[in-house]
Amino acid sequence: MKKIPIEFSINGQKREALVNPNDLLINIIRDELYLTGTKYGCGIGECGACTVFLDNEPVLSCLTLAAAVDGKEITTIEGLANGNELHPMQIAFLKNAAVQCGFCTPGMILTAVALLKENPSPTEEEIKDYMRGNICRCTGYVQIVKAIKACAEGGKSEPI
Amino acid sequence: MNQFKYVSPKTKEEVLKILKQEKSKACIVAGCSNVLPYIKDKKLPAKLLLDISGIEELNYVKKSEGEIYIGAGTTISDLINSKIIREECNLLYQTAEEFADPTVRNRATIGGNLADASPAADMAPPLLVLNAVLEAESIDKKREISLKEFFIAPRKTVLREDEMISSIKIKNSFLNKNGCFIKLGLRQAMAISVATIAMILEVEKNKVADVRIAMGSIAPIPLRLLKTEEFLINKEVNDDLIEKAIPKVREEVNPIGDVRASAEYRRYVSGILFKRAFKKLT
Repeated sequence: MKKIPIEFSINGQKREALVNPNDLLINIIRDELYLTGTKYGCGIGECGACTVFLDNEPVLSCLTLAAAVDGKEITTIEGLANGNELHPMQIAFLKNAAVQCGFCTPGMILTAVALLKENPSPTEEEIKDYMRGNICRCTGYVQIVKAIKACAEGGKSEPI
Repeated sequence: MNQFKYVSPKTKEEVLKILKQEKSKACIVAGCSNVLPYIKDKKLPAKLLLDISGIEELNYVKKSEGEIYIGAGTTISDLINSKIIREECNLLYQTAEEFADPTVRNRATIGGNLADASPAADMAPPLLVLNAVLEAESIDKKREISLKEFFIAPRKTVLREDEMISSIKIKNSFLNKNGCFIKLGLRQAMAISVATIAMILEVEKNKVADVRIAMGSIAPIPLRLLKTEEFLINKEVNDDLIEKAIPKVREEVNPIGDVRASAEYRRYVSGILFKRAFKKLT
């Protein structure tokens, strides 16, 4: 199988890679770049655990071919914090105990950040609607919704 | 995962040339939200994937001489963000908002949803009641296909091997009508529909002046319910009419049972969805 050369930027860094036509973006991110914050959940676009930003829009990396990200910008959960300073959404998730096992958290946080970019002060219903593709099997969602609301209301909360 | 080849042409012309050459060996993809699960399930034989997601000339919503044209590569998110769709084609806007979730909507395209020809394609019922017309192109010629003639069987369409959908057209006279879309899935997001309904209803002097109904996941193809429409037209709008129409709906649908629901349930719930849609619009 002929490999395809691609160039992309991930978390602000330019990268080149040789990928197979059937390589999925998530496998390149986890297995080649060792950015294991992005989680492999269902693999068929049901759970949202593999969410990353592609050109600033949240997409599912398990349903994206690596070859298709040539020339694009990717942000994973590792790229959200500014050095040691956590993103306000990460702080809100910590402060509101919106994390239990943590497997869904990277996808939840990225989707939530995308929500607030589109709609800076969402209602509870709007939060639930936007986050509906991200599945959590432990928290019961209450704390997650609370965290997103707190982040929207609090703007930049102080670091922990 | 099965092996396949991949190319990402930069122009529509390039795509059409490759299609002419490769014919059924090529499979056009954009968002890949259906195709990749098929490949993983080994439902799609080894093929050449023709990725059109980078082709700008296929991504637009525009109005010309009162008709709306939607490029086949327009994502569902682009539909939601389009002022034209939101203000003038509310039924399609409602459907786009029900579609999967934001992450999938950022990749999945309207052309892909139709070309995949799933009986459960969410975009099909609203476009059927809007009498949408598809523009199909091959390198040699362009032709128009009415959406109601497009689907022939699950995952089969009248599209020829060297053709692709380039745009979807909705006529002015079908815009801005009183319409709604209701989706029934096993969960609110990402679910393949158990049943869907799109309805447009115009009532004048308490009589049905115009009604168009299409349903998804209740027959081998997305279905216009022409017999039920015929029954409803010119009838007085009241609860009795709804109760009398429900058996007509259940007669007209032709569902199968699968992992999501039994045929009996789908037939039953078709009547309920009809009732909900009709009540919502009156």
